[in-house]
Amino acid sequence: MKLEIGQIFIRDIQFDAVSRIENNILYVNTQELKALLLEDEHLASVDFEIAKPGEKTRIIPVKDVIEPRVKVEGGGGIFPGVLAKVEAVGSGRTNVLKGAAVVTTGRIVGFQEGIIDMSGPGADYTPFSKLNNLVLICETVDGLKQHAHEKVVRFAGLKTAAYLGRLAKELVADEVKTYETPSVKEGMLKYPDLPRVAYVLMLQSQGLLHDTYVYGVDMKQSLTTMLYPTELMDGAIISGNCVSACDKNTTYHHLNNPVVEDLFAKHGTELNFVGVIITNENVYLADKERSSDWTAKLVELLGVDGVVISQEGFGNPDTDLIMNCKKIEAKGVKTVIITDEYAGRDGASQSLADADASADAVVTGGNANMVIELPPMERIIGHKEAADVIAGGFDGSLKEDGSIVAELQVITGATNELGFNKLSAR
Amino acid sequence: MLIITNNQKVMDEADPRFERYFVEGKYEEVLLAVRDRIHKGHRLLTHPLSGSVKPGQTPYKSILISKEATELHLESLQIIEDSIRVYSTQTKNQAGYREEIQTAAAEDFREVDARLFAGALESAMRAAKPMSEYKEEAKL
Repeated sequence: MKLEIGQIFIRDIQFDAVSRIENNILYVNTQELKALLLEDEHLASVDFEIAKPGEKTRIIPVKDVIEPRVKVEGGGGIFPGVLAKVEAVGSGRTNVLKGAAVVTTGRIVGFQEGIIDMSGPGADYTPFSKLNNLVLICETVDGLKQHAHEKVVRFAGLKTAAYLGRLAKELVADEVKTYETPSVKEGMLKYPDLPRVAYVLMLQSQGLLHDTYVYGVDMKQSLTTMLYPTELMDGAIISGNCVSACDKNTTYHHLNNPVVEDLFAKHGTELNFVGVIITNENVYLADKERSSDWTAKLVELLGVDGVVISQEGFGNPDTDLIMNCKKIEAKGVKTVIITDEYAGRDGASQSLADADASADAVVTGGNANMVIELPPMERIIGHKEAADVIAGGFDGSLKEDGSIVAELQVITGATNELGFNKLSAR
Repeated sequence: MLIITNNQKVMDEADPRFERYFVEGKYEEVLLAVRDRIHKGHRLLTHPLSGSVKPGQTPYKSILISKEATELHLESLQIIEDSIRVYSTQTKNQAGYREEIQTAAAEDFREVDARLFAGALESAMRAAKPMSEYKEEAKL
């Protein structure tokens, strides 16, 4: 399967009477967009703000971040099974508004989390401070239950990203990258001497506010299965995960999975990237057993030499991670796991809720308990009262001047377990 | 199968086929109530650290264990002890402030705990009996 990603570099976003992309500037007609979004009867109002790199702006609480994309050639559409019909994606040509993102905020539940600072020390911890962000502030109709509320906000974000993506359908890309995955047989014949590597992508699937959808399927109800890596780039996986801001995978992360990107970069020279195995993280222990058995079985069936495993979330998924690692290693296949740490504020406690001697190659995304100080910002987008009840905050977190002293876990993407951040340890 | 919970919503709404025991106390006391039963030979059926809402943030916790007690199940003991350790690391220095949030958002915390737990109960009900009671059980 072969996909070309046409990148259109977006260096600014502005509101305007006509939505379009011109000279690498994204112009947005908010009236038109608002009318489209308000077709959802559960959405009472939606407001738009623009947040640019370097501004003294804080976005809070962040629900999801999504990169606008559009299918130009090839089967299916972006976000298949959700916004587009169920048809396999991942081949042909996709245009991407590189440097732009849609950020959703909304008061879904009373406990809040997820900060993006566009400047200052907080900005260094989140990749989204480097993007031109169109922020959606969604208010739903009264009386909506939490799960329905989450869905409304999720769809508003996806629809906005698709709307902006469509503006790039006819454009000539500034840069084109090509990604190709041969069949298992072709790959073995083409690269007989290269180690064969698969990627095990663990997806959050515990339930309310902890869900991930694959071609529209709720991942908690799926068995472990396989995807071509390029299917991710067309939005086959979307995030409904609103909890644990620092180490949840937003839809933006799924579209730009750095493990996929890096394995492709070495594909054909240092290794043979065979494909992506996706598996879930459920609450019931027998589900964990079944899913990790299945992961190890697929790894064995593919006959790969090595596996990279990434995790999503805190606590319970540590058990899935270790089960996957242990069972794959027991098949004689080497693993590297990517996780993050909750090692206490001093970093001295054990980092994970589970451990095993076979987990001897570990990459960390940083310690989520580390305390940071965020200076006050001139502009707050979203719900500023949320800063009072931010997860990762503590007694006296929010100072009178608007500065925040809190644990790193308050920042969206700070300790991302795909490695889409700068923190790690040696 | 036996539910151990401090969440009234789970007590009220969980499938009637499950027995339940209400813990008058905090998240930590639910963990300890489960640990005590594991010492007596009950097995853990759901992960104690369900949800990404951290201990010290949510006050509610619901855990499913086997109704029958047999011999000590070491894997269950390992998981509950690890969970108690994580609870203690994550709640250090968080006293006071959290209680305010916990009161303000109590209904949301109850709902998230209950919904995640209901998903686990659905999984549990798909088999004729808890997976832990099958003789050919895979090791955790």
